[in-house]
Amino acid sequence: MNHNDGRFPDSGPAPASYSCDATTAAEPAARRHFLSRTTGGFLGALGLASLLNRNPGAARQPPERHQPLPVQTPHFAPRAKRVICLFMLGGPSQFELLDHKPRLNALHGTPVPADLVRGDQFAFIKGTPNLAGSAFRFRRHGQSGAELSELLPHLASVADDLAIVRSMHTEEFNHDPAVMFFNAGSAFTGRPALGAWLTYGLGSESEELPGFVVLASGEPEGPPVGFHHWTSGFLPTAHQGVRFRGNGDPVLFLSNPPGVSRRTRQQTIAALRDLNQIQQKNIGDPEIGARIAAFELAFRMQTSVPELTDLGRESATTLRQYGARIGHGSFANNCLLARRLVERGVRFVQLYHRHWDHHGFNDQDQNVLHALPQRCREVDQPAAALIKDLKQRGLLDETLVIWGGEFGRTPMVQQAPTPTRLGRDHHPGAFSIWLAGGGIQPGTLGRTDELGYRVVEDGVHIHDLHATLLHLMGLDHTALVHRHQGRDFRLTDVAGQVVKKLLG
Amino acid sequence: MGTAPLVRLGNTDRLEYSQSLFGQKVQTGLVMRLWFVLLTGLSVSCATPAADARAAAPQGPTSSRHWAYQAVTRPPLPDIDQLASVANPVDQFVLARLRRGQRTFTPSAPRAVRLRRVTLDLIGLPPSLDEVDRFLADPRPDAWGRVIDRLLASPAYGEHWGRYWLDLARYADTNGYNIDVQRPIWPYRDWVINTLNADLSFDQFTVSQIAGDLLPAATPAQRIATGFHRNTMINQEGGVDPEADRVKTIVDRVNTTATVWLGTTLACAHCHDHMYDPFTQREFFAFYAFFNQTQDVAGGVPNSSLEPLLRIPSPEQQMEWDRLRSALAHLPEGQTAAREKLRQAETALLESIPNTMVLQERSQRRITRVHLRGDVGNPGEVVTPGVPAVLHSFAAVVGQSRPPNRLDLARWLVASDNPLTGRVTVNRYWQRFFGTGLVTTSDDFGKRGHSPSHPALLDWLAREFVDTGWRVKAMHRLIATSRTYQQAARGPHREESLRPAQSSQQGPSLAGPWWDHGPRFRLAAETIRDLALAASGLLNRQIGGPSVHPPQPAGFWLEFGTRGFGMEKWPTSAAADCARRGLYTFWRRTTVYPTFAILDAPSREHCTVRRPRSNTPLQALSTLNDPAFLQCAAALALRAIRADHPNQADRIVFAFRLCLSRRPQPTELARLVTFYEQQLEHYRNHSSEADKLIRAVGLSPITQIDRRQWAAWTILASLLLNLDETITKG
Repeated sequence: MNHNDGRFPDSGPAPASYSCDATTAAEPAARRHFLSRTTGGFLGALGLASLLNRNPGAARQPPERHQPLPVQTPHFAPRAKRVICLFMLGGPSQFELLDHKPRLNALHGTPVPADLVRGDQFAFIKGTPNLAGSAFRFRRHGQSGAELSELLPHLASVADDLAIVRSMHTEEFNHDPAVMFFNAGSAFTGRPALGAWLTYGLGSESEELPGFVVLASGEPEGPPVGFHHWTSGFLPTAHQGVRFRGNGDPVLFLSNPPGVSRRTRQQTIAALRDLNQIQQKNIGDPEIGARIAAFELAFRMQTSVPELTDLGRESATTLRQYGARIGHGSFANNCLLARRLVERGVRFVQLYHRHWDHHGFNDQDQNVLHALPQRCREVDQPAAALIKDLKQRGLLDETLVIWGGEFGRTPMVQQAPTPTRLGRDHHPGAFSIWLAGGGIQPGTLGRTDELGYRVVEDGVHIHDLHATLLHLMGLDHTALVHRHQGRDFRLTDVAGQVVKKLLG
Repeated sequence: MGTAPLVRLGNTDRLEYSQSLFGQKVQTGLVMRLWFVLLTGLSVSCATPAADARAAAPQGPTSSRHWAYQAVTRPPLPDIDQLASVANPVDQFVLARLRRGQRTFTPSAPRAVRLRRVTLDLIGLPPSLDEVDRFLADPRPDAWGRVIDRLLASPAYGEHWGRYWLDLARYADTNGYNIDVQRPIWPYRDWVINTLNADLSFDQFTVSQIAGDLLPAATPAQRIATGFHRNTMINQEGGVDPEADRVKTIVDRVNTTATVWLGTTLACAHCHDHMYDPFTQREFFAFYAFFNQTQDVAGGVPNSSLEPLLRIPSPEQQMEWDRLRSALAHLPEGQTAAREKLRQAETALLESIPNTMVLQERSQRRITRVHLRGDVGNPGEVVTPGVPAVLHSFAAVVGQSRPPNRLDLARWLVASDNPLTGRVTVNRYWQRFFGTGLVTTSDDFGKRGHSPSHPALLDWLAREFVDTGWRVKAMHRLIATSRTYQQAARGPHREESLRPAQSSQQGPSLAGPWWDHGPRFRLAAETIRDLALAASGLLNRQIGGPSVHPPQPAGFWLEFGTRGFGMEKWPTSAAADCARRGLYTFWRRTTVYPTFAILDAPSREHCTVRRPRSNTPLQALSTLNDPAFLQCAAALALRAIRADHPNQADRIVFAFRLCLSRRPQPTELARLVTFYEQQLEHYRNHSSEADKLIRAVGLSPITQIDRRQWAAWTILASLLLNLDETITKG
């Protein structure tokens, strides 16, 4: 069954699902309803026209070739068509990467002002531990003079493409709720992730791949990645992110069992079609047509996905630029895969790289001095290569790249530091991210106080980031709504402002 | 340190600090809330309200109260000119409206199809061929009723209907969130199964789960039942504030109770008065106060957060326990070695007895305050336990000698004048059979929900249910015996407006399906798996016990999870446990068994009333290539090869019937025969491929059978298991 089964009776502007069964009396009602919601004038004529143009007569005819998530017209002309989100799971330290704080360095080893942290809650810190300056040096780069840490030498080579936002803030200080907040604008489970909202609003340009793909890399340490991070929530399940795995089948159960040839599978799909069509003639259930189409798409994916994930098709130069090695499930490989995915029209690609949660519990993998440089070695080169590669292929203008984590770290140490160890606690009050491409204005936005503890200029809440992102994709965040249990939900809930200064 | 360090900073910095409200961590929440109030003005709302034509409910001319809050009165049965064409009152209501729309029933589905439908609906498994043949040959006029009685008496009934309930109860085997480790609560799942099989009345079923621990002389079973509300998640991440996490669990208990029994989105009143329905925030917290008195502490305290637990010894374990206690008591002084031995035996026994999480009331009552804007750190006025004023009277159920408690709430939920519990429950039953409820928004009976397609039928069913003692099996029997249910299928039921040309009605047109054809929709994830296991003969019908781990892709847990919490590796069960019904599969909230997740199973993080039914290529890949389905195909192939049939076509008919109950039409059979011959020829020419396939299916090798034939048959059986009709109830 699909969204017209009454579960999604008042679907927003662009409901879609793998079912091609289309028009029922519910659909005009949904459109009518949509109009009634938007008479406030949120939408331009273009957006309305696109909605009204969803021709019920045309929809009644199953398309020749199955379109999983048909492309929808945005509310207004978009600047970006695709998003690649590089998500550093665990909360990377802004002090060692993007937010240069000379004053903090000067106060290194002195206690944090009690007034500053009074009443604030931390995951681990109690009392007023000492401040810790950055363990690494910053330098200015490019024409823009963007300040970047020495841990990011490759990124420095694309400094003029970056919009560094030093004034991010969020609401959650534990990993899981904070990751959910970054992804879905809410710490409550059950809300759709950003990628699901995007395919809901815009559909997917790829007929052979899901519109929302998730990749993950890094050691299985620190906060985990889970289904709930790419859930479609209350949106139709077809909008759910599909995780491509680093080992085995990139998509679960993609390969035929041993001893089953492609020809055998083709014959199976053909026989299924014939038999299902007999049933469809007898019963007249349009859902059967959708089933036939889904099986045929599955068959095509058996070719298109291995072709996609075969990095052997890339030149040695490209592989070297990314630092990718065939057969590895590394962040570098995933960055290259991300480019291949957006090339094929996938709307939203999210890369998780794990193990950025450096509290300082030990000298190794918990240590800002030890683990953070390691993480940077893993991501710096591929992320920079991705930007260059997209640019060289003319894709950067339409592809928005975001790099960040669920929150930042505290300017004060968590454990008493030693010469060989530094650890920082979770900090949602101020953190840094960078963006590139897709209609973004390069430069540095926002400012934190001299200790990097609070945002003092051009604060960007997660809701603002989401509003901006949707805006760049041609969607009005206040008009992209879905009714669930009687309430109209938005990615930005009841908040969010488009950050004008970020728009190119 | 006082304020001294501020002095070290320049003037500018001081200024910045004083202006830094916006960026401050904790205060950002406050800012958000301020925005929230500013943006939404007087109507502090979650989102923009919208005019909704559907919300206009059929209301009496004099009543301004939303239909769902009005008392349920038994409507008269409509006059029908053709009483002969109805099987029971359900049909009378449905046919009356069909007549008004100048429509009529679709003829009944063929017998074999109907039998498959009702068997899948009542026990979640396909009928055996013997059952099909007996029903086809049964000329008695009450043959249909006999089938239903047989199915209602099957122990598989409780498993199937229990699975539905477990979605509502958000039952899972792990704590959820980041760490998501195992918890002991499967005895609650078994309680649900056994209770449904015993046909415990729905009011008692309710009271046991909401407040079984508070019943006088509560039995272990009644205490196990309170696991219903222990199914809330627990966040064990470092730094979680235990009280904040406990509040989250209580809020979830409120929301789940309101959704399951009242079909009400009370959750909307957590932060502010409900935007559309008549529930105030104060009423939310009065409801909350009922649940705010239990001992469980939720998150932030690893290892102690599962308490209180109840030990559930088997009768043998209980006997052994009594024996050890008695031996210890009667042991003469000084026998230290013997005493030590007994103590060790006692400890070993205790460790082997399963535990389950239960509710238990605190001795010291908590004071409940409204959390202003839903923020636990922003306490408002004190509230005492109470229910929303718009609903039926609470006074009638409250004991006068003490403050109202969960037991009073439970009794209020199942009071015979509750306008919602009966309607909401029978509507969910309807949804299970027909795919869609009479109220399609089965989780929202509020103003923003849809009005019922057949208000009188809904009320009649609700009244019948409550007045005849909340008998669940009787309601299922009533629906399944109706002519409405037995009609031939066309497709999913959809909402439609009454077309004006065909409507003799005045006033607003009713929305909702006509129910003028039988139900047809894709089966649930677990049922698709159970069906494959049953058709192949692999199904292990053992009921209950700890959850099992049928094979899943290697390394799957670690791809998502984290080392160091004992959840690195999926501990694949022994062979017999791999063929248990789907509802026994270990349910980890952050990484649900992949094939189930792909087929729309929920994470069970929260109450799910309606699963979506999507139709995606990933599902096709699962049912074609998941080794579990491949094994079923190979076993089904073996069954067919070994069946006592003279020729290939008869064997194909046999296997077809195991999946679909009906016989294939000649065109279907011809296509299947061609397909089989194609495969056989292929494997005859590529016998090493046949060997590879047969090795991969994971069944013990059968030397007497030609592997090329078995391989060709396996491909055919896989085709049968993947037919749209196989994975669909029609």
